[in-house]
Amino acid sequence: MNSALKLSNLAVERGGKVLLSELNCDINPGEVIVVLGPNGAGKSSLLLALAGLIPATGAVELFGKPLAGFSRKKLSHKIAWQGALPPTEFGLTVEQRLELAASEDNEAIISIADAMDIKPLLTRPLGELSSGERQRTELAALMLRDTPIWLLDEPTAHLDLKHQIQCMHMLKEERDHGRTIITVLHDIQQAMAVADYLILIDGKGGAEYGTAEQLFASQRLSELFDAPVVTQGSVLVPDYGKRI
Amino acid sequence: MRWLILFIAVISSLLLGLAVGEQWINPFAPSHALEKTILWELRFPRLLTAFAVGGMLALAGAWFQVLLGNPLAEPYVLGVAGSASAGAVTGLMLMPESAWAMSVGAFAGAWIGIVTVMLFSRLGANRMLLAGVVLAAFWSAVLALLLALLPEQGLFRAFAWMMGDLSHSDIPVPVLLLAWATALICGLILSRSLDKLLLGERHAEALGVDVKQLRHRLLLLASAVTALAVTAAGTIGFVGLVIPHLMRLLFGSLHRAVLPASAIGGGLLLVLADSAARTIIAPAELPVGILTAIIGVPVFLFLLMRRSG
Repeated sequence: MNSALKLSNLAVERGGKVLLSELNCDINPGEVIVVLGPNGAGKSSLLLALAGLIPATGAVELFGKPLAGFSRKKLSHKIAWQGALPPTEFGLTVEQRLELAASEDNEAIISIADAMDIKPLLTRPLGELSSGERQRTELAALMLRDTPIWLLDEPTAHLDLKHQIQCMHMLKEERDHGRTIITVLHDIQQAMAVADYLILIDGKGGAEYGTAEQLFASQRLSELFDAPVVTQGSVLVPDYGKRI
Repeated sequence: MRWLILFIAVISSLLLGLAVGEQWINPFAPSHALEKTILWELRFPRLLTAFAVGGMLALAGAWFQVLLGNPLAEPYVLGVAGSASAGAVTGLMLMPESAWAMSVGAFAGAWIGIVTVMLFSRLGANRMLLAGVVLAAFWSAVLALLLALLPEQGLFRAFAWMMGDLSHSDIPVPVLLLAWATALICGLILSRSLDKLLLGERHAEALGVDVKQLRHRLLLLASAVTALAVTAAGTIGFVGLVIPHLMRLLFGSLHRAVLPASAIGGGLLLVLADSAARTIIAPAELPVGILTAIIGVPVFLFLLMRRSG
């Protein structure tokens, strides 16, 4: 079986700083890969590089073909990237935002808006939404993108608990339908809930790829974040009681 | 319904524009041959010129706003008005007797300004805007210098042109109308990519838009349309800034609606403004640029307040 994404010696550099070097991995269809690491380590940059939105060195193969050989349009049929939407000044409404995602199928838009609890917001301009409502709109826009690979940059940011859980379920369901998902998360428990594999980026150029079983260890994550992570039963949690 | 109202408004404004002027003429029943000549050989071509120029300015404004990601952008934001004015005044200085001198100078000046700005287009929207604003200041200084050197008898002609003058466009009406239609069609072809650009360059790219190519096409298109409009009628402010916003308030943000509405709405505003300009102090004329602002600003502010309320 062709891997969905194959990274060989991938290195990403931004503003003269090497964010990660020599990342190697084979990512198969229907896997969830969670990217973890401290702020500024290069997690978002990794997603941007995989989406072909910033340059990177090394080789990236998308379904067996070099990523660089894909035109912008063809790439957008294979990969959907979700990142924070910059402020828009032109009064675009939620419904129009969703229309731009990929589909002009009104029924699909309404049904996904309903699923993401944003149906009552459809006629509101994006600029009038709360951060959580904007995030839900962006997730709904992502769900309209029927691409085999999704790259998600902090999909649960700004979401309340209900919608965080809903988002996690959505990721698992999509994985079960064969979607390959690479997502940056900050919450270790959310990561544990969905990850098949992890990419750990340490912010010093180092990156490690492995199964969730291998890399979910309190010692490893404590080192990665330079912060205490402890085991409680079968889960890993940050030690909020400890001053650092 | 909104489209019908816009369409009726355009027809009404054209009829009004035919009727008013130094003397009132019933467009449906001119009383003698001279009135017929005034209606169809003087007023009608001028109204069509106003419509095409206003429409092109509004289209260019809509494009520049999206291209630069800035709602304050307008057709002259990158200094094209300044370079065109400097060109027009240079033409007037070199060939004071020629009827075409200002138009030829303006067209050449506009393109010199455009090519200069294009050198900075690879810097991205914000830096290109900054470069454009600085270039606009440069061209203003060049213009001031040229005006200081211009013989006194040329000053009135120069100022009239700089405030917008539809009384003697050197570009044939069919050429302007064809340019208006071509610009609108090109805009509609690019409209979905333009919509995606509203989400920011990165999101647009992720949605399959070749942003670099789109920016080049848009810059060339908007600049060409601005150069033509400036050459035909001098520098007319306000239309390109406010009409696209007004049309977004009325028709929503998607360009398949904003662009045709702006092309029509800009034309409508300039037809009304020009009709007023040649009627209020007839037989003399007011500069049309003054009237576009006097008519358009209150309308825009009213709609803005109503929408906010």
